Amino acid sequence: MRLPLSWLTSMVDLDLPLDDLVDRLSASGLEVEGVTTPGAGIHGVRTARVLHHEPHPDADSLRLVDVTGPDGEGEVRVVCGAANFDVGDVVLHAEVGARIPGMELEARTIRGQVSNGMLASARELGLGEDHSGLLVLDGDVALGALLEDLVPVGEPVIEIAVQPDRGDHLSVLGVARDLAALLDTTLSPPPVLAEAPSGPGISLSLETDGVGTFVAWTLEDVAVRRSPLWLRTRLAQCGVRSIDGVVDVTNYVMLELGQPLHAFDLDRLRGAALRVRAASGGEQLRTLDGVDRMLVEGDLLIEDADGPASLAGVMGGERTEVHAATRRVLLEGAVWDPAAIRRTSRRLGLVSEASTRFERRVDPEGAGRAVARAAHLMGLTAGARPTAVSESARTAGDWLARPTVEASAAGIRRLLALDLDADAQAGLLRRAHCDVTVVGERLTVVPPSWRGDLARPADLAEEVARLHGFAHIPAELPPLVARGALSAAQRLERGLREAVLAHGFDEIVTRPFVGDEVFSGVLPSDGRVRLANPLAQDAAAMRPGLLDGLLGTLRRNRGQGRAGMAVTELGRIHRPVGDPLGVALDAVVGPGWRWEGPDGQALPLQPRTLALAAFGTRGGDGWQAPTLDWEVEDVLAVLDELSRRAGVPRLERRAIVRDGWHPGRTVALLLGGVEVGVAGQLHPHTCDAWDLPESVVAGELLLEPLLVPARDEQRPSQAPRLVRHPAVVVDVAVVAPEALAIAAIMTVVREAAGALLDDLRWFDEFRGEQLPDGHRSIGLRLRLQDPDRQLSDDDADGVLKRVATAVEAVGASLRT
Amino acid sequence: MDASEVDALRVAALAAFAAADDVAGLEQARVDHLGRRSPLAAAQKTLGGLSDDGRRTLGALLNALKADITEGFEARHAALEAVELGARLEAERRDLTGPARRVRPGRPHLLTQVEAEIVDVFLGMGFSVAEGPEVESGRFNFDLLNIPPEHPARGTMDTIYVDEQDDIVLRTHTSPVQVRTMLAQRPPIAVVCPGRVYRADAVDATHSPVFTQVEGLLIAEGVTMAHLRGTLLAFARALFGDDREVRLRPSFFPFTEPSAEVDVSFDSASGWLEILGSGMVDPAVLTACGIDPARYSGFAFGIGVERVAMLRHGVSDIRDLYDADARFLAAF
Repeated sequence: MRLPLSWLTSMVDLDLPLDDLVDRLSASGLEVEGVTTPGAGIHGVRTARVLHHEPHPDADSLRLVDVTGPDGEGEVRVVCGAANFDVGDVVLHAEVGARIPGMELEARTIRGQVSNGMLASARELGLGEDHSGLLVLDGDVALGALLEDLVPVGEPVIEIAVQPDRGDHLSVLGVARDLAALLDTTLSPPPVLAEAPSGPGISLSLETDGVGTFVAWTLEDVAVRRSPLWLRTRLAQCGVRSIDGVVDVTNYVMLELGQPLHAFDLDRLRGAALRVRAASGGEQLRTLDGVDRMLVEGDLLIEDADGPASLAGVMGGERTEVHAATRRVLLEGAVWDPAAIRRTSRRLGLVSEASTRFERRVDPEGAGRAVARAAHLMGLTAGARPTAVSESARTAGDWLARPTVEASAAGIRRLLALDLDADAQAGLLRRAHCDVTVVGERLTVVPPSWRGDLARPADLAEEVARLHGFAHIPAELPPLVARGALSAAQRLERGLREAVLAHGFDEIVTRPFVGDEVFSGVLPSDGRVRLANPLAQDAAAMRPGLLDGLLGTLRRNRGQGRAGMAVTELGRIHRPVGDPLGVALDAVVGPGWRWEGPDGQALPLQPRTLALAAFGTRGGDGWQAPTLDWEVEDVLAVLDELSRRAGVPRLERRAIVRDGWHPGRTVALLLGGVEVGVAGQLHPHTCDAWDLPESVVAGELLLEPLLVPARDEQRPSQAPRLVRHPAVVVDVAVVAPEALAIAAIMTVVREAAGALLDDLRWFDEFRGEQLPDGHRSIGLRLRLQDPDRQLSDDDADGVLKRVATAVEAVGASLRT
Repeated sequence: MDASEVDALRVAALAAFAAADDVAGLEQARVDHLGRRSPLAAAQKTLGGLSDDGRRTLGALLNALKADITEGFEARHAALEAVELGARLEAERRDLTGPARRVRPGRPHLLTQVEAEIVDVFLGMGFSVAEGPEVESGRFNFDLLNIPPEHPARGTMDTIYVDEQDDIVLRTHTSPVQVRTMLAQRPPIAVVCPGRVYRADAVDATHSPVFTQVEGLLIAEGVTMAHLRGTLLAFARALFGDDREVRLRPSFFPFTEPSAEVDVSFDSASGWLEILGSGMVDPAVLTACGIDPARYSGFAFGIGVERVAMLRHGVSDIRDLYDADARFLAAF
């Protein structure tokens, strides 16, 4: 809402500098979005009458115009490109030496003709957007008058953001009223000068509770012409386009009083009656913007004998629009149900100044005053003469209810922590035009008709605080009401993040939307949580996995010329309720990770997940010899560390073949035999498709199996027993067929070595002619130790014999 | 062998040691003059054939000779070793002024850092952390928060809906977590709810369809607006500095009444900057969540993590937070 300062001060005594006013407004819930000064700096622009004009001899589109001079007499020659004027019109002449926004005028020769200044359009003067021709004034204005003496051009215009519950702020009167309350100063509402005519007007039939008061005045002798300068100036300051002396007045009064009005051409209305009803659906109406609208059940409409004439509260109909030849006007002001107007406006995507106001509730008692005020002004701007009045009202709509609010002054005092007794609170509320009765601590409050937001004690508390000043509310820490701490699972989640970062992966946050093509990560499926109103086609669903975001990140950074990068993301992935991922997670951790709606209905699956991806050198750009590259083992090392940190069993690995991944370098990560993760190297085709070099390594792990168990139990880590006896280290070489996995060999060796085994490491892998075809030799280092005694060679020999027997049982042998 | 011959051996040995110019040459000289085939060893072998007197005299001479030669050797050996070590160390000289060759640990994302810092401030004030789903029921996200079905915020211009599901939305704030908490837990309640939230905003320098919030909720008997202000002042000072003040401005949110926008004081150039919305929990919300508003009151607030991060760290384009440029990641 834009508020020209002179308009505001015409209604309220403001004895404070502009900056203070702005601060006061902002501090009181009328947030100032900006202060502009349209037309600031204009000087030397005067009214002048066109005396004579002729075509420019050397330019078809220009005219040579003689206008009256600074004193209203004499002749001044100006070259002009506009053609919307004729001899006798009064226009605005920016004389030589004058200033207008962005320009200082001097005598200029245009195609051989001297132009002494220029004749100005509305836009050139900051008085609107119209640049199609000169700003032509109505005739009875003094000649030679300075523009700034006629209208407050260049004055501050304050733009405020209006809160949804304060529809009353969508008018100059509403803001003035609030300022008068805030500053405890005098309010002078604009006078209503028109006498209501006595003649009976058009007959009204209100057939819906979607309407409250409906007022219609009949105006005769209307002459539609351009609006006077003062009216055009105010509309321009408020960002409203000037149309003519009828429509402009409806807009002016709407801005002034907050009540939208509509002017019908009475001669275009059929029949002597208007019907107001809720649409039954299927009715059609062409609105003022020339669009055919199909109405649905519940839309509110005004109709005449020919059918719908206006989409109530949103936009008038084209058929009954006021036009240049209009002679009789039916000026209508009505109060509509905010919810109904909101529904219609949303459905049609049609937001008008009127709908904006009705949605936020207009003063239910303001329609009559607004129509009378507009009728008076149309008398000035269009010669209109009121001849008849019709008024009707329905009062049954719930939305018209005006509750009397009972509140406890002590309760308000407590809630606000403000030392205001009942009388002080009542005094503040009375400034806001509330009718307040005080009995002890009990306040009985009847809010004014325009304050729909004051309906409950909490609303009164806010109003008391607002008028007293939020700044007076003290700052005090609340008593400690609970023990604050992260849960074990939340601590673990932080720990898991730290563990990944410690391995050299930078954390990223990506937007969690995907298009049609999605890279397969853990437990891939076609299931998508699709969006009904996505922002883009390549963001049409929630991500079913994290890896697309990571690969996109690698690609962008690779495009920047980076030789290597490693990134990780922790976040939720999304699958439909029935996705196989849900079954898998239930099998591992039970249903504790799922989310439900208010009635127990299942929400889409959204498990917390971690992914990591890397390519190229680990050293970064400052590294002289970048020989250390990210490899798949680095990913596995991180994921192993996560399971260790979480205290869950070691993640088993099983070689798998999966779309997009290297068929020989990819494993599923299993807990209890169920896949909870995937890790490996990407297929060369994938790298190619993502514009990434070979080899990219990646992994994805569902975190719920790590986090959910931590939620239920405190599991402090237990200190190990530190054995003092020396360890015996034994290296063995196991010759095994290629198909026998290292994990399997190590399991066999671990079991065979038994209780003496303190640590088992894989330190070598060898292939060569000395070995049988299809075999390899695996070097393992066994560290043996007994907590209670020193081990002998016999102990080591015993272990070796058991290991030899065990590996032979799985088709391998110890090389000696 | 007489004393002059012994002296000659001494002179010869010490001269040989002096002539050796590396440890290997010195070792050869040692073998020559102290080894089993050296003149000294040969002279010692003759002792057995001498008279007691002669043996005593020559023995003493030879022992002195051996001690002198050994001492001479060791001194020369130490000197040569020092030279060689010096040469080796010189050869090992490295220019350590270049960039460190490091495998650096990764860094938490700026949003993670700021979120954790905010959460930790409230943990210190007795709040716990509550979590909830990002794909959420419209009833939790709207209805129970006093946002009626025809409210503009529920329109598809503002809210992203899940397709083919009745009233399932990408949560537009973390307030539904507050609702879940109130429905599950009796007062006193003190929680913060961090997490990602979504709005139907196209990506530009100041808008993102996904962003991060930390909302807070405190409900107990006797909670006042002064407690709200005190809590947010403590937060602002923890995050921005002990010299900060906060300013409350009346505002409107469907789920709080009174409602307030909260500004934090910055330098004189910036003045007050809006950082969060807050208010006393609307009685209608308490009632909808089964809490008696006659007995309990509370406050709620919502902090935009991106906003705090951008203000504090000079990030001018919100896209930088989500585009994961390595140079940006390395800066925090």
